[in-house]
Amino acid sequence: MAEPQPSPESTQTKPLLELEGVWKSFGGLVVIDNLDLAVNENEIVSVIGPNGAGKTTLFNLITGIYPPDSGAIRLDGESLVGLPPHKIARRGAARTFQTLRLFLNMTVIENVMASQYGQTKVGIARAMLRTPGMRREEREIRARAEEKLAFFGERLMGYRWDQPAYSLSYANRRRLEIARAMATEPRILLLDEPAAGMNPSETHEITELIGKLRDDGGYTILVIEHDMHVVEGISDRVVALDHGVKIAEGTFEAVATNPRVVEAYLGTSAAVTK
Amino acid sequence: MSEAPGTPGVTPPPGDPTESRIGVDSWVAQAEGRRARRRGPARLLARGWEWSPDPVKLLLFVGLASTLPFWLNEGDLFNFGLFTLLYVALALGLNVVVGFAGLLDLGYVAFFGIGAYTYALLSSSHYGIHWPAEATIPISMAVAALAGLILGSASRRLLGDYLAIVTLFFLQAFAAFTNTANPTVHGVGLTGGPNGIANLDPLTFFGYKLNSTKQQYFFLVIVVAVVAAALHFINQSRTGRAFRALREDPLAAEVMSIPVNRLKLLAFVLGAAIAGLCGTIFAASFTAVTAGSFGVPLLILLYAIIILGGLGSIAGVILGGFVINISSQFLAPQNDHPDVKRWLFYGTIVLIVALMKPWYRAVLVLAATIAFGYAVHAIVSATTVATWTTGAPVAAGSRSIRDGIQGWVVMPHATATGPHVNFNTCLYIGLVVAAVTVRSLSGWWRLAALVPTLYLTAMVWENILAQNPSVTALILFGAMLIALMTVRPQGLLGTARVEIV
Amino acid sequence: MHLLLFNIIDQIRSLGWGGAFELLRNGIVLGSLYSLIALGYTMIYGILKLLNFAHGDVYMVGAFLGFGVLTAFGGALNPGIGLVPLIIIMFAVAMLGSGVLGVGIERFAYRPLRNAPRIAPLIAALGVSFFLENSAQLMTNGFQYNYDAFQLGGKNGNFGPLFDPVFTVAGNPVTVVQVLVVGSAVTLMAALIFLVSRTRLGKAMRATAFDQEAASMMGIDTDRVISSTFFIASVLAGAAGVMYGLYIGTTFYFMGFLAGLKAFTAAVVGGIGSIVGAMVAGVLVGLIESYAIGYVGGQWSDIVVFGILILFMIVRPTGLFGAQAIQKV
Ligand SMILES: Nc1ncnc2c1ncn2[C@@H]1O[C@H](COP(=O)(O)OP(=O)(O)OP(=O)(O)O)[C@@H](O)[C@H]1O
Ligand SMILES: [Mg+2]
Repeated sequence: MAEPQPSPESTQTKPLLELEGVWKSFGGLVVIDNLDLAVNENEIVSVIGPNGAGKTTLFNLITGIYPPDSGAIRLDGESLVGLPPHKIARRGAARTFQTLRLFLNMTVIENVMASQYGQTKVGIARAMLRTPGMRREEREIRARAEEKLAFFGERLMGYRWDQPAYSLSYANRRRLEIARAMATEPRILLLDEPAAGMNPSETHEITELIGKLRDDGGYTILVIEHDMHVVEGISDRVVALDHGVKIAEGTFEAVATNPRVVEAYLGTSAAVTK
Repeated sequence: MSEAPGTPGVTPPPGDPTESRIGVDSWVAQAEGRRARRRGPARLLARGWEWSPDPVKLLLFVGLASTLPFWLNEGDLFNFGLFTLLYVALALGLNVVVGFAGLLDLGYVAFFGIGAYTYALLSSSHYGIHWPAEATIPISMAVAALAGLILGSASRRLLGDYLAIVTLFFLQAFAAFTNTANPTVHGVGLTGGPNGIANLDPLTFFGYKLNSTKQQYFFLVIVVAVVAAALHFINQSRTGRAFRALREDPLAAEVMSIPVNRLKLLAFVLGAAIAGLCGTIFAASFTAVTAGSFGVPLLILLYAIIILGGLGSIAGVILGGFVINISSQFLAPQNDHPDVKRWLFYGTIVLIVALMKPWYRAVLVLAATIAFGYAVHAIVSATTVATWTTGAPVAAGSRSIRDGIQGWVVMPHATATGPHVNFNTCLYIGLVVAAVTVRSLSGWWRLAALVPTLYLTAMVWENILAQNPSVTALILFGAMLIALMTVRPQGLLGTARVEIV
Repeated sequence: MHLLLFNIIDQIRSLGWGGAFELLRNGIVLGSLYSLIALGYTMIYGILKLLNFAHGDVYMVGAFLGFGVLTAFGGALNPGIGLVPLIIIMFAVAMLGSGVLGVGIERFAYRPLRNAPRIAPLIAALGVSFFLENSAQLMTNGFQYNYDAFQLGGKNGNFGPLFDPVFTVAGNPVTVVQVLVVGSAVTLMAALIFLVSRTRLGKAMRATAFDQEAASMMGIDTDRVISSTFFIASVLAGAAGVMYGLYIGTTFYFMGFLAGLKAFTAAVVGGIGSIVGAMVAGVLVGLIESYAIGYVGGQWSDIVVFGILILFMIVRPTGLFGAQAIQKV
């Protein structure tokens, strides 16, 4: 597969990712409450909300880690509900984890190569015989991995390829997670707090990177972020969640000044005194 | 090893605000390199091993292994050669499941048994079927693989510990089935019960019989080389990466488009097929199968091999197989080499002590132990009744060694009654307690405690272990598993795994 | 297959109600032993998430310690002291010894592996189990030893009171030793429930099981709590060992393996981590085994038991009383 290119006719008519009336509860606690959400092709949508609002759960539902209790989740018009996570990844939804989950004892480049499993084919018979086709595919996998890592400038280049992932700094681990997700050749990237734990300059860098991912990489991006500067800098559209309910949606300015959002973040009294 | 950044542009200019000072990853990388640096011949060896390409390693193994038949007699070739390679091949299969995919499979030996029984049923007078090996080997592998598929698909959703217990049940059920159930089919007990099935045909390929141990041995060399190469290629392929990924973090692997359940199943089936292959070879070379061969002791032996060698490392498994089988064969009662046994035992202990740094501590400890021994021996023989020191070493060996031992180790004269009845039990428990104490001390105290512990070890060896070598082997494997896990979980050739939260 | 089924039905018919009760009785007595061992598995698993393969062997050691006491007092035929104090000393020594052994195992084999990959302590546990089994084999020369409890307390070579019937149900006697086994098992379990639910230590244990890190931040000495858990678990196993010796009699070095395996499954069937679950399921496993022996035949009983247990684990891995394990992402 080549890089996913935005197809002009679908941008207006049909959203790439679509959630309709999605519910999820854990033992009586409703975490996602009748959520509708649409992400158009080549768009960057941010999800904000206080801790425990259900943002990560939203990602877990999209990527199939939990099934929704009810409702529809569609990627490019096809339902994802009930598919196992690896199939959803093949359909084109890739994510990063809020609590990093790299393959720590594998090398940097192996991390990125491993996640190409879904789009490659050579089985163990051909691998045991090391057929020319197998070797060609192996070279392609490596080339693609290098290409993904090159996206991050010098950060993950050169000698770092063959270092174990655990030797990376925190910020580089976050970058590697993004590279690993990119390597599944997704149509939509789901980034769970990509700037968490980064210092201001790294945060700034990640903001630019997300824009570059859309502009140069051609990905559609759904991102969870707490840092309002990042959200402001990258978002075409912002969705605010609270207790699993979508309480606001629109441009950053509109959502950030929405009284319900302010209330959710600061508590009722703050909203009233304002 | 990347000790310095390969590309000069990578190191940021000093004062670059984007690079944090603490935990700079190039520094971490260098630390790795620094740690890997060794001194002396060990370094040369390690370097040479690292730099030699994989085919060279394989050729080295085949070359060395092929010389064995020329300097071992038939019996030794069977015990030290054939069995080593058989265990190596078996451990290679187990390594796929445990080392590559990280699944704790305790039923593995059952697949070995299934392969062996399949061969026994298809190539013996038990039912009068005498199929050739070119048919029975694929069939045995297929039957074992099918069993692996069934067990694997039944338990593929189970978490680590549950998988372990279900597979252990499977082994137990298999043992009960072959040993006690032995259902009657066509008027004959299917598995032959505890007596098993005897008089199996030798492996016969297209009419060519592998009759002698030598032939069987060379066949096994080829099998091990092929299996090792195939597994090495799998390990380097996308499947191997997927195995490693799922071992690291199954959930992340699944989300990264890796079908975790299918791969677990694949690992099970691959392992089972290799075990099935080994089963046929075992049955044919041994010319008999009995239910007792496929039990927990063999399982522990195989785990000892893959853990000593280093989980996931193919070269490590081969090395581990050699070390474990050769030491266990020397301890086996049917191989009577008392001197060798003794050298092996004391040699291993001296070697372990010699690993201590700096070297003069090791010398100090050894010298102190010898002195301590003579002192204790003198005191005991001077103060107690004569029977305390008149015992003779059981594993006799040559005259001079024997006398030397007798003058150094306190050995009560073996009597059924009298003051020495519980001596051995107390001695053994004393050793375990002493070993545990040494482990929990540190610094000079540890060294001091090590001296009597080493002497106790010698006493236990001469008084108890040397008389029960086969049990000793099992005890040592158990102890080795514990010690390796706490001291060096990566084994001899594996790479240390780091878990950072 | 059909044939087997007919055999079973025949067997049920021919044994009748009396036979059914006999199997029930045997199952309950055997099951109380499994319950006691299963408690240890469940407690240790609950607190360390570790399948302690060596636990069954602690039970074996307990049985041998009891036998050692018996021998030290002169054997079953003419012990130097009265029956009741003898049994009390046997229990005390076996329980204490097993408890110390359990603490030692935890301290030296498992504690260094707290932060190791999950597979490491499991393999170490396998090693401990194998080590204990074969050490026992070495010291007992691989022989079986018999408590010969039926002679205990008997005068001049007569049988003692342990195997006298206390009462009879449907023509089947229930003997003193059976009452003793079930009675002391129930007492120990009651004590355990009290300890876990009412004492400070119990509270600390529950907290540590729930979240070790958080518990240690709240000032709980988790290492000590874990040690205590191993002590209690091993004490129960040691007691079970003596009960086994008194009731069945033959102790040998391999006895802990199968019993441990079955008891662990009882812990799983009961829902790992659940104390009540382990008790109930232990008896259940005992009953299954007893009926399998009676109706299907001794040579098939292990296969039947393991088959049922494998099925159960696959169909409902959370057990009867367990909650769905959640994994947050
Ligand atoms: N597997 C689960 N079982 C039970 N409750 C869960 C589970 N996963 C999430 N929850 C609960 O659902 C709620 C939403 O959690 P979620 O992780 O989605 O929040 P979030 O918006 O990502 O918060 P944060 O900003 O802290 O990451 C929380 O109350 C959480 O405890
Ligand atoms: Mg979250």
